[in-house]
Amino acid sequence: MKLLLTPFCLALLAVSAHAGEPATDLAAKLGSMQQDGASLVRLKMDVRGTTKFTLQLQIKQRRTSTTTEIVYQVLWPKERAGEAVLLRKTGDQAATGAVFTPPNKVSMLDSSQMKEALLGSDLSYADGVENFFIWKQQAIVGTEMVNRVSCDILESKPGRSQRSSYSSVRTWVDRRRDVPLRIEKYLSSGQLVRRIDTTRVATNDKNQSVPANLTVSDIRHGSTTDLNGASVKHAVNFSDREFTPAGFMEVVPARSAAE
Amino acid sequence: MTFFTIIVRGLQRRPVRTGLTLVGISIGIAAVVALVGISRGFEASWATGMKVRGTDIVVSNMGSALAPKPFSATVRDRIAKLPQVADACAIYADLTSVEDASMMVVSAREWGGFSWHNLKLISGRMPHDAMEPAVVLGQTAAEVLKKKVGDPLQLETKELTVTGIVDGGAMVENGSVILSLALFQNITGNEGRINVIDIRAAPGLTEDEMKHLCEQINTTAPEARAMVAGEHLGNSQAFRFISAMSWGTSLLAVIVGVLGVMNTMLMTVFERKQEICILLAIGWKPGRVIRMILWESALLGFLGGIVGVVLGTLAVKVLETLPAIHGMLEPDFNAGLMAVAVALAVIVGVLSGLYPAWRSSRLTPSLAMQG
Repeated sequence: MKLLLTPFCLALLAVSAHAGEPATDLAAKLGSMQQDGASLVRLKMDVRGTTKFTLQLQIKQRRTSTTTEIVYQVLWPKERAGEAVLLRKTGDQAATGAVFTPPNKVSMLDSSQMKEALLGSDLSYADGVENFFIWKQQAIVGTEMVNRVSCDILESKPGRSQRSSYSSVRTWVDRRRDVPLRIEKYLSSGQLVRRIDTTRVATNDKNQSVPANLTVSDIRHGSTTDLNGASVKHAVNFSDREFTPAGFMEVVPARSAAE
Repeated sequence: MTFFTIIVRGLQRRPVRTGLTLVGISIGIAAVVALVGISRGFEASWATGMKVRGTDIVVSNMGSALAPKPFSATVRDRIAKLPQVADACAIYADLTSVEDASMMVVSAREWGGFSWHNLKLISGRMPHDAMEPAVVLGQTAAEVLKKKVGDPLQLETKELTVTGIVDGGAMVENGSVILSLALFQNITGNEGRINVIDIRAAPGLTEDEMKHLCEQINTTAPEARAMVAGEHLGNSQAFRFISAMSWGTSLLAVIVGVLGVMNTMLMTVFERKQEICILLAIGWKPGRVIRMILWESALLGFLGGIVGVVLGTLAVKVLETLPAIHGMLEPDFNAGLMAVAVALAVIVGVLSGLYPAWRSSRLTPSLAMQG
């Protein structure tokens, strides 16, 4: 049960594909693998922008075919311990959320704030919660080598009813291991905003190859954030309260479901 | 002038080219020494860790991940009842990032179990009980985490206190964050789960009896696999992959070395065509010319091997000083590895010289007249 950001990464990256499948099937497969139920991820986040800092995070997620709920909680350093972000997205509705700053400040996030930085990193709130594999338009637009690995390039574009700050997202998928090795997110002007590179692939607790370490680059600002997965645990029991503005303020361990 | 002098002069004729070829072989051999030494050292340090804990058999479920898969803690009690098991200690071992360190061994041990007994306090104290929010750090772990006795340490969801710094007698032990199993299970939500059991067998068991005991344990606890301590790491797919990668990378480097030597020796044969033809004209047999070329390439390989062993050892010593991996390497540079590396270099030299030697044997004395 080592190092895998599976569900978290899948929100940023994608997984799985098989040669010869049309783009819609591939996207559907990636989307369904992303929605893998309740899981707990532990990771180290190294932000290397104008200010450099490291965070240890605990990420609780509940992802179904219709709803995504995520709680990011800072475990370390001490001065930021307890900071938390709650994100929720249902179907095509706009994402919403809340931010908790200890000891008692809770700020609600509306859809216009989803472009803002997640915990000061190069990821936005939307990057954490958005599933671009369920967007209407999916196409395989080419094949390219990434780190000497041949990848299919899946291009995803939102439909009219689907809100996103990006106009398109390209995912480079290693077809042999079913692992996404790169993602690029573009504005409607065609400008590349964000690139996410997989720097290490590992096996998760479901014996799947998944991205374990990622580097997120903010192209416009020239800053990067490294995400180093420490562990992932699937089939976790969460209470509904943990995904509410009242419950996400408490840092508690997650229990595995009864086996 | 002796036969050996001719060989040495042959190499000295083009010192720059000989030097560059030597560098090529040396890098290949240095890669072999460094990568295989690190890989073997990793395995040896785990075996040493087991030995100092007094562990005869390790029960775990090593898959393709770096840490073993968890299973029910009840397995420990089932195994402990077997007649030839003298003692059992349940452990939850994890490789995880701790504070700003990317990868640390976290070893959560059954409170009162024998796996605590090898830890010698350097400073501070051991935890008072199983649920005291406390950890002890191996001395290397304390250096990496920059902690001293009394400092807080954030582990998963809980802030614990470093109550002691210990010498565990092995690199793995000294690089570990060590705490009570019950406490770790509580702060990670893994109650009732473990992923390693250290077993002490009854005294006086032979090697065969030990293997038989492993089979008994495997029958009793099919959730995991029992291996004689030291052999268990080889059961890990991840370790086997790392080991294969080490040899694979080394092999590539050696192939580059082969091509380098072959190129040098071919050039030597072409440039010394007239000299070789004269040697043939004064009575040298083609077989002697072949031996001369092969000796030259073997000597080149031997020298490259010696330099490569030194370079590889130095490279790892430098690596050990890097902050990111300080305390995580315990390379195994035994004499056997050095000898294998030098022998490999000589074999590379000889193999690389075969084709040029064959070309030289095809020359005839009459070619010397053609200039």
